[in-house]
Amino acid sequence: MAKTAAVGPAQPKLPLRARVRTLPQRALLALRKYWFIYLLALPGIIFLLLFSYGPMYGILLAFKDFKINKGVWGSPWVGLLHYRDLFSDPAFIQAFKNTVIINIYHLVFGFSFNVFLALMINELQFRRAKSVIQTCVYLPYFLSWVIFAGLVQVFLQAPVPGDVGGVVNQIIVALGGESIDFMKRPELFRGILVITNIVKTAGYSTIIYLAAIAGVDPTLYEAAAIDGGNRKDMLLHITFPRILPSVAVMFLLQVSQLFLSNFDQVYNLYNTFVYSTGDVLSTYIYRISLGGGAEFELSTAANLLLNVLGLLALVFSNKFVKKLDVMGIF
Amino acid sequence: MAVSGVQKPRVPRKSLRQRFGFNFYDVFVVLFCVAFAVICFYPMWYVFIASITPYEEFVKGGLMLWPSGGVDLQYYKTIFSNSSFTTSLWISASKTVIGTLLSLLITSTMAYAVSKVHVPGMKLINVLAVFTMFFTGGLIPTYILYMDLNLIRTYWVMVLPYGFSITYFIIMRNYFSYSVPKDLEDAARIDGCNEVGVFFRVLLPLSKPMLAAVGLFLAVGFWNDYYSYMMYIANKSELQPFAWVLRRVLTDSAMMAQVRQGAADFSAQLPPPMALRMATIICAMLPIMCVYPFLQKHFAKGILIGAVKE
Repeated sequence: MAKTAAVGPAQPKLPLRARVRTLPQRALLALRKYWFIYLLALPGIIFLLLFSYGPMYGILLAFKDFKINKGVWGSPWVGLLHYRDLFSDPAFIQAFKNTVIINIYHLVFGFSFNVFLALMINELQFRRAKSVIQTCVYLPYFLSWVIFAGLVQVFLQAPVPGDVGGVVNQIIVALGGESIDFMKRPELFRGILVITNIVKTAGYSTIIYLAAIAGVDPTLYEAAAIDGGNRKDMLLHITFPRILPSVAVMFLLQVSQLFLSNFDQVYNLYNTFVYSTGDVLSTYIYRISLGGGAEFELSTAANLLLNVLGLLALVFSNKFVKKLDVMGIF
Repeated sequence: MAVSGVQKPRVPRKSLRQRFGFNFYDVFVVLFCVAFAVICFYPMWYVFIASITPYEEFVKGGLMLWPSGGVDLQYYKTIFSNSSFTTSLWISASKTVIGTLLSLLITSTMAYAVSKVHVPGMKLINVLAVFTMFFTGGLIPTYILYMDLNLIRTYWVMVLPYGFSITYFIIMRNYFSYSVPKDLEDAARIDGCNEVGVFFRVLLPLSKPMLAAVGLFLAVGFWNDYYSYMMYIANKSELQPFAWVLRRVLTDSAMMAQVRQGAADFSAQLPPPMALRMATIICAMLPIMCVYPFLQKHFAKGILIGAVKE
């Protein structure tokens, strides 16, 4: 507000009037001056309020006993009853554990792989080869998880009567082994999640690191060469330290998503055989409400808990990001 | 990085690089990258080749590097003779076009407005928008809202809720704030252009590449979306998008049986489920493959716009 007051050329001459201006008057003035900007923002604001803030009213359900004929507001309050139910539901506890464990796996294996891949792509010498490889590794990102789950199925399916098995099982059988039904083995499922996630997103996530590497001053490498360093030394002592801030930011962003789970991926890959290791919070929330069950309040309560935990994790990791002097999202 | 082959004069033994033109480090780098690229690309190639290979050839196994034994399009014929497929292709295509245009229009205009931080109120709107990235109503409250809006089980539930996209809002806002030269806008104003003219005559032409990139991203998102159908429509076969038909072909044996029966008219034997799945996967991938060259050209810029401060 203070800025707008300083913009008008007439302002310094009329300090008194400017001072006694009340908020509605100032709003009117701004509206008259910037009507076009407000007009441009209007449709977006309407959509934002309607479709993003509109549902928030329904969060009240987490504390209510929903009666469909009475609506959200008219239904009776039940306090924290649904949270008591939630925490005594073994399926919820299991889904919570699975979510955190799977996310830690993604963080340990997926994240480090991304950084490593970016460094390796950067080390490629031939420009042509580099661009061909980049084209290949970015591609899976644009395919949906449905397609990807289909590919996984084509490759991992166990042979059934009337249909040959997937390629991997054909190879195992050809080598004299016994075919494995990968998708129905709970102990393998988290591994499948981590690996498919790497194949799908690793290429895309290198972009940010490659951009950071491109910003490294080339004279540093020349200096290193004069001092007799080989390429491995340059990688470890020049390139890697230079991308460390980006790596840290991406790491913290991923930490802030510790309680979020990729519905698309899990829903398209899992089945009843692997619920014990593969069921995550988002699939749990879906299954107990629209996907078969009718626990609408429980589902809302779980979602609210998830959001609050997510916000806390975000605030926590944002504290560290701020220290790194990189542009945040705000 | 032309400095790689540095000579070390004091080392008496010649390095591998000097003797053969490469060393283990180079070999490792190339092998690693090529291996990962093959892992990313080969599955799609395999599925493509397998879907056009005659079944007798396919059951022999093999790596499917090249179509051997002739090209056979019978699986595609089967698919396109099924009415679920053709209807859903039409639904997917139309919602992709409408949704992309709507989302581009609403998100870009708001992003431009919010990039004008000196306008009172814009900072607040920005915080309100970004907050929704981390805090949502959740599945059931959203469902209740759509019910109140009479959107449930209609075509528009797959389009309207995505009118404002927070991810692309942030990207576009940063683009308008940092990548469009402020001087150009000021010059236009000095020449007597008003705010309306600045937007239409300066901003929009300057942002064409960015709008194209974001539009492609949005289009891919709309094409791949089956979530809104599954959650808010479900069981209304005339509205199902192609992504959902694909999902059913992959998981629903009743759907598979129906598709296979359709092939009985022009094929002596029923096509194997695996082959039909592959052909469906290829159909779902095809539009994305068609825009991928354009996507790839722009998208690095697209996501970096939001990440790099000028």
